[in-house]
Amino acid sequence: MSNVIQASNLTLSYDNGEKEIIKDANFSIKKGEFVFITGPSGSGKSTLLKSLYGQLKPSHGSLVVGGLDLSNIRQRKLQELRTHMGIIFQDYKLVNEWTVGKNVVLPLMIAGYSTEIQETQARRLLKHVKLAEYTDKYPLELSGGEQQRVGVARALAKNPVVILADEPTGNLDDYSSNVIWDLMENACQQLDTTVLVVTHKIPTIFSLPYRHFIIESKGVYEVH
Amino acid sequence: MKFIKNHLMFILPLMAILLGIEFYLVFDRTTDTYEKGLKESYTMLVVSKKPVELSTFQALNKHISSSEQIAREGIVAEVAKGVGKSTSKAIIKALPYFYNLGLDAYLRSSELENIKKDLKADKNIKRVETFGGSYNSSYRLFSFIKFTLKVFIVFMTVVSLFLIIKQMEIWKYAHKERMQVMEIFGAPLMLRSGVLFKVAFIDAIFASILVSGIFLYIKFYWAAQSGIDMMMQNQAVLFRVTDMGILLGSSLLIVIIAVYFVVFSNKGVEG
Repeated sequence: MSNVIQASNLTLSYDNGEKEIIKDANFSIKKGEFVFITGPSGSGKSTLLKSLYGQLKPSHGSLVVGGLDLSNIRQRKLQELRTHMGIIFQDYKLVNEWTVGKNVVLPLMIAGYSTEIQETQARRLLKHVKLAEYTDKYPLELSGGEQQRVGVARALAKNPVVILADEPTGNLDDYSSNVIWDLMENACQQLDTTVLVVTHKIPTIFSLPYRHFIIESKGVYEVH
Repeated sequence: MKFIKNHLMFILPLMAILLGIEFYLVFDRTTDTYEKGLKESYTMLVVSKKPVELSTFQALNKHISSSEQIAREGIVAEVAKGVGKSTSKAIIKALPYFYNLGLDAYLRSSELENIKKDLKADKNIKRVETFGGSYNSSYRLFSFIKFTLKVFIVFMTVVSLFLIIKQMEIWKYAHKERMQVMEIFGAPLMLRSGVLFKVAFIDAIFASILVSGIFLYIKFYWAAQSGIDMMMQNQAVLFRVTDMGILLGSSLLIVIIAVYFVVFSNKGVEG
């Protein structure tokens, strides 16, 4: 199976290389894999995730995602790559002035799909995350768990190649967290989507086989 | 209230620029008549030993557009009253030829001096009188008013443009969250800046309508009742339908420049 993500001697840093977060990391993730990345607070989990969707360029080494080297990528190519990604954030990052329906179809809107397709997909996706009746509501009218389900629906909108999730259940209670894990497991199983989750704690209810990486002392190590 | 304030902060500086543009257009049109008058009433006097054709004058300087020979009989009649016919004829014969030369444009005094120099290069031309003194003072006053207005408009445009850009940065900040999310999901710059363009375009149209309204009021109500001769005579040129297009075009251009400046000066909005 081909690698969706490939890091070779990857070094990530801030302040023009002065503040090194990750150093010489080597790892690869295949299509359809479910991967957890854990580590103590401030270890660089979110930094690694940021680099995977191109918000932070590698200072050394290479990071190839979907066949594109992010250490040397043009803005247009990066934008295109991002349209094949589903990204889920701990703070949901929904647009509060938009309805839930509009938030969900943002990736379709960016891809230029027609309004009819967007509306149909919004209904389908919201039904999938059990929020069918919330289409016309606004994010702030929803609970945290519901908002995160909207976030997951948005991430799934365009059948992404890879889903990147940054502490997706960090702000949620156990029930809501389990719903989110279920949805992500389903996406991985049914759509063969690669899912990479950054979290401080792997959920106990998780049923899928998964790989686990830990970030420690600037290194990324696989836990067997 | 905040909504109105936000839009006024954009519309008012834009209106200042548009008012400047429209004032300049109106000033240019009203002074154009005055400039034409100055040009047409101005002639330079040339004294020549032999008769000179217009084409000869034009060959000496391309700015010469007309020549009119001054009847020598009239000059003699004025200066030699009471002299006999034969004496009169002798005086006419001895007199050189006088010409009033018209120019094709309202020229600077330095250019008048050049014409004088060119004409004097012809050995038959004895004297050239440009009346530079009176010409110069009216031209200088006229140029000064035009220059002052241009400087004022440019200054006002620069200051207003800064205010517009500042307001746009505030809008960008207000829409940061939305633009940030769109950027993360791969929206191109134009799509995520769409909201800035939309708001700015609406305000630009609004500002153009307001400025057009002000000038239409000046044209049809204020100028007609002002009792100011210059205003009443030039009422027709105070505002034209084409001005509305110029104002709208200018405001949209300013808006596009401002949005591009704000968007491209700080490409990314990701936190």
